[in-house]
Amino acid sequence: MAPVTFFHCIPRDTLLHRMDARLKLLCLVLLSVAVSFAVAPAHYLAALCAVMAALFTAELPLPALLKDMKIFGVIIAIVLVVDAFSIPGPPIPNFPVPGVSLPGVVTGLRFAGRLTIIIMACAVMTGTTSLLTFKNVVEWYLRPVPFIPEARVAMMINLTFVFIPLIFDQYVEMMSAQKARCADLRKNPIRRISFIVLPLLSRTLRRTDEIVYAMEARCYSETRTRPRFKTHPADWLILAAAAAALVFILYYPCA
Amino acid sequence: MPVLETQNLTHIFPDGTAAIQDISLRINAGEFIVIAGANGSGKTVFIRHLNGLLVPTSGRVLIDGEPIGKNITAARQKIGLIFQDSDSQIVGQTVAEDVAFGPENLNLPREEVERIVPEALAAVGLSDLAAQSPHTLSGGQKRKLAVAGILAMRPEIIIFDEPFTGLDYPGVVQVLRQIVQLHQAGHTIVVITHELEKVLAHADRLAIFCRGRLAENGAPENIVIRAENYGIRLPLRHGGTVGELTWLR
Ligand SMILES: Nc1ncnc2c1ncn2[C@@H]1O[C@H](COP(=O)(O)OP(=O)(O)OP(=O)(O)O)[C@@H](O)[C@H]1O
Ligand SMILES: [Mg+2]
Repeated sequence: MAPVTFFHCIPRDTLLHRMDARLKLLCLVLLSVAVSFAVAPAHYLAALCAVMAALFTAELPLPALLKDMKIFGVIIAIVLVVDAFSIPGPPIPNFPVPGVSLPGVVTGLRFAGRLTIIIMACAVMTGTTSLLTFKNVVEWYLRPVPFIPEARVAMMINLTFVFIPLIFDQYVEMMSAQKARCADLRKNPIRRISFIVLPLLSRTLRRTDEIVYAMEARCYSETRTRPRFKTHPADWLILAAAAAALVFILYYPCA
Repeated sequence: MPVLETQNLTHIFPDGTAAIQDISLRINAGEFIVIAGANGSGKTVFIRHLNGLLVPTSGRVLIDGEPIGKNITAARQKIGLIFQDSDSQIVGQTVAEDVAFGPENLNLPREEVERIVPEALAAVGLSDLAAQSPHTLSGGQKRKLAVAGILAMRPEIIIFDEPFTGLDYPGVVQVLRQIVQLHQAGHTIVVITHELEKVLAHADRLAIFCRGRLAENGAPENIVIRAENYGIRLPLRHGGTVGELTWLR
């Protein structure tokens, strides 16, 4: 598989890596809410500063992240163009392309700004948090929610992360094995897919049986030792900064 | 008194396959038993009864003279099972987390889990890889990780289902050395394999399964000469002794 830096934990020893992931997730939520209320350029600047500060604190490789963001760039460009043409309003004076409205461009730019900042914030979150910690945080937040067995949900998340690469590997192997037997000469695509999907499904189901046995053999139980979180004083300061960004955006007058 | 005993164990699957029939076997504390048999002879089905993963159609399993159903969690803690396919046995995202899975299931205090896990990893020599993803380990290392996950639950009896399949020469030696060490440390060991030449020298007893039945059971030197009758390669050359049957030197 191609090495993906985006949405992948990059182990470092920084303030944000050590941060209590429960508070980190809360910061992400606060920042996302703040950005969704952003209207004036000053709002965007404030949010951008916050995210950039986080990005540099986390020592994440900026060039690699920007490269991986290309796919989002395409989405943003499409929305920008659609907004510019579809939202009615007075045209931009002296703009060479006809049919582009001023409110359309403004709306499109705002959307693009929001999305960029939120994606960058998510990249910081995932880049500094292992999947394991992430699972523990989800479990912690689900604890007070009634009727949701948080231990089971956490185990499901965990197993998904553990077994998707295995299933993917198996898929690749079966693809090559079938190519070796000239399966790509088959013209009917449905037949071709069924040759892959059905065996893959049956093998995955059989493997599931094995996993269930293996977990039972190790006394699987939902009353289990709970994960432990460590909160540092600095974590609260970071949370306060995120909250301050939200307050600023909510109360700073729109231009 | 045997630590583990099966009495007339029979398992018939819903589709009518009689996977094991009328198996009575006693395992004594500290023993090293090898169970051999051709593919489909019922070895895996048999050992899955020993810690209550499968429930017999008839017959019963006794642990220290008590029926296994009395306290199934205690039974599973006491009898560690290393599966044939290590990939399905590994449930953690990191090596350390996988080892912690068992103790966490037992709801031990967090401090104790954090003490046990490094001990278990050290016992199999995987301490340096604690933070790695299990996906990146070699076949031999994966099997060692499975052993560490079992050791963390402090079992008395450890059962290995085909521990050598898919391993290269160094991998086999690594795992075999581990098994012998565990036996010397006082664990009762059951090894399922048809590759007798790799391990039989260390065994106190050899049992052979054939089409779901216990066909032979006794001292390795008496039984091994008949191995070929049951679809197992005769590991001895003419005039050889059981003591030569090991990949450890
Ligand atoms: N879930 C099942 N349903 C029906 N039949 C089964 C099931 N599991 C196993 N069997 C059958 O039970 C018999 C014994 O299988 P088992 O897996 O115990 O063999 P084994 O001795 O471990 O063989 P191998 O060396 O291939 O691992 C086989 O005939 C198998 O087809
Ligand atoms: Mg088997």
